[in-house]
Amino acid sequence: QSQPNKPADYVYFDRSSANFSEDAQARAKAAQVKLEHFYKVAVDAAVERNGRRVELERKLQSDTLIPEERKQRQLQQHGKKESTFLRLRRTKLGLDDFRTVKVIGKGAFGEVRLVQKVDTGKIYAMKLLKKDEMLKKDQLAHVRAERDVLAESDSPWVVQLFYSFQDSSFLYLIMEFLPGGDLMTMLIKYDTFSEDVTRFYMAECVLAIEAVHKLGFIHRDIKPDNILIDKDGHVKLSDFGLSTGFHKKHDSSYYQRLLETAQSGTSATPQQSSRNSVMVNSINLTMTSKDQIATWKANRRKLAYSTVGTPDYIAPEIFMQKGYGNECDWWSLGAIMFECLVGYPPFCSESTHETYQKIMQWQYHLVFPEDVHLSREGEDLIRRLITSSDKRLGVEQLKKHPFFYGVDWETIRRIDAPFVPHLRSITDTSYFPTDELDQGTEQPPAESGGAGAKDLAFLGYTFKRF
Amino acid sequence: QAQVAPVQKPLYLCSPFVEAALVKGNFKTIVMLPKYVDIMEWVAVNIFDFYNHLNEFYGVISECCTQQSCKTMSAGTNLSYTWINQDRKSVHLPASTYIDYVMTWIQNLLDDENSFPTRSGQDFPPSFPSTVKHMYRQLLRVFAHIYHAHFNQLLHLRSEPHFNSLFAHFLAFGREYELLEVKDIKGVPTAPVGIGALWEKWKGMGLLEA
Ligand SMILES: Nc1ncnc2c1ncn2[C@@H]1O[C@H](COP(=O)(O)OP(=O)(O)OP(=O)(O)O)[C@@H](O)[C@H]1O
Repeated sequence: QSQPNKPADYVYFDRSSANFSEDAQARAKAAQVKLEHFYKVAVDAAVERNGRRVELERKLQSDTLIPEERKQRQLQQHGKKESTFLRLRRTKLGLDDFRTVKVIGKGAFGEVRLVQKVDTGKIYAMKLLKKDEMLKKDQLAHVRAERDVLAESDSPWVVQLFYSFQDSSFLYLIMEFLPGGDLMTMLIKYDTFSEDVTRFYMAECVLAIEAVHKLGFIHRDIKPDNILIDKDGHVKLSDFGLSTGFHKKHDSSYYQRLLETAQSGTSATPQQSSRNSVMVNSINLTMTSKDQIATWKANRRKLAYSTVGTPDYIAPEIFMQKGYGNECDWWSLGAIMFECLVGYPPFCSESTHETYQKIMQWQYHLVFPEDVHLSREGEDLIRRLITSSDKRLGVEQLKKHPFFYGVDWETIRRIDAPFVPHLRSITDTSYFPTDELDQGTEQPPAESGGAGAKDLAFLGYTFKRF
Repeated sequence: QAQVAPVQKPLYLCSPFVEAALVKGNFKTIVMLPKYVDIMEWVAVNIFDFYNHLNEFYGVISECCTQQSCKTMSAGTNLSYTWINQDRKSVHLPASTYIDYVMTWIQNLLDDENSFPTRSGQDFPPSFPSTVKHMYRQLLRVFAHIYHAHFNQLLHLRSEPHFNSLFAHFLAFGREYELLEVKDIKGVPTAPVGIGALWEKWKGMGLLEA
């Protein structure tokens, strides 16, 4: 059997898994995948840890004003922090470590609860995501990478993630709790905002979106439900990297299919298609009627809870298969601004499908109602956001737009917010629609153990930060 | 085992299996103590990982490691490890029982807040260095048994690159932090540990530090 270029001890081995149970084969695969993942992460972690240290050393070295002894202390402190991080990796957090105070929100793939960590008494928001729902909807792509970077971010504009863990049915994300609720709830309560109030929220959103873009992300799904309010009334964007990738509503092929069914529903003769477009227009007209807006508003929350979600704020280019850049987030901001001032988003319709079609033909459907007065600057800004992506304003132009005249971009997060939540305790949930939410919370499964394919798909999901 | 003609050399020492590796290159980058980091914290988390991965792989072949197939904790042609029982007597145990004892013991230690503290502010006990040495030695024995008695099965399941890398990493780490004695790796001349030869071979290949 020996071949010229093979070593003398070269052995041919007939591999066959026939004598192994299916369980053993699955375990073998799982062990391999886990180890591969482990080494990838281990190498990355070593590189990053090194980077953090070098960065600090360089910073200290270049600063001649800090006394040597304090530099040493800082390095020691750095080592302590890194050590704590290592320790956290051995720490097993589970559902048992948190006590549910209340269900405060519902998302497409699970719910959000106000929880208290049992040992420290600290308050967090815990988001539960149902694994099988996410798998069913095939929403696993790019989740991890996004999550990692966001987790690294210390931006005041992004909700902080502290831990994540999982069991066989759910992913659990432990985030900072923002007691002020979200912009959707606020809009449901107040209907519209004055231009001054709108200016504040829009300006903060501009900075928040800019921060996200600087981290290298496109949010793709900015909407009032994702704009959360902290204890001082300032804005933070919700943990999009954790969920965005999951959502069916971002799946362009989903909309493509919608589009196709819609098109096949109408026949192809030119007359009919022109008649069809007239029909669309007529729907548009009735849309602005008070009744329909009321229906839309009544359903707003339900829509937020559904897996399909609302496309109301999504830019048209996202639905097309051609790719898009971070300009799409500025479109969303335009749609939210419209809603803040007018009371409903510009393309709202009775069905998501209709909304979708209106967005695709936004030129015909962006209509400012007669009975709402908008300043010229306000309307102009909206029109420069809800426009084709090549004409849309970028962040620098946005900041200079006359609508934002007088905004101090450097200090806005430190000034008083227009609505500051009145909180009676650290677990006050009065800014959340807790009555509307089913408080009979999702039950975690009895642990089955073993590595199912389902778990492997979420490998690396467990995250801890210090 | 029948399909292989009488080879003197165990398969894990033969080409191409001895070279099979998931991780290429030197383990230094992931073994070295990160600057300013507490060495105990570093050793603790690494043992934690080694244990978990080894456990996974043992789970893979556990259906082949039965009271019948492995009556003792064999690790070389002339070598079976003994367990010290409650009466401080050395006894032979079936490998599955031995490994079960080892893994349970280690799991308990890892879960014990006094031995492996996880709460902040809680220090490692003074006994930590000797505890981890004990753990490490027992983990080595589990590796040794799997290589000696179950390498075929790893081959059938195409797991040898993974298992090799895990073990090479384990050896590199153990040597760096003096958790392993040469005599543990190689055994005594009359009863050598099978993997002692693997260690030598990998050193010769430049995979591990000489
Ligand atoms: N960190 C938090 N603090 C307080 N409330 C939160 C927090 N995260 C989410 N919520 C509440 O829960 C609701 C649902 O959360 P979220 O919007 O993140 O879920 P989702 O709909 O599944 O995800 P997506 O935002 O991607 O649609 C939010 O609108 C908000 O009211």
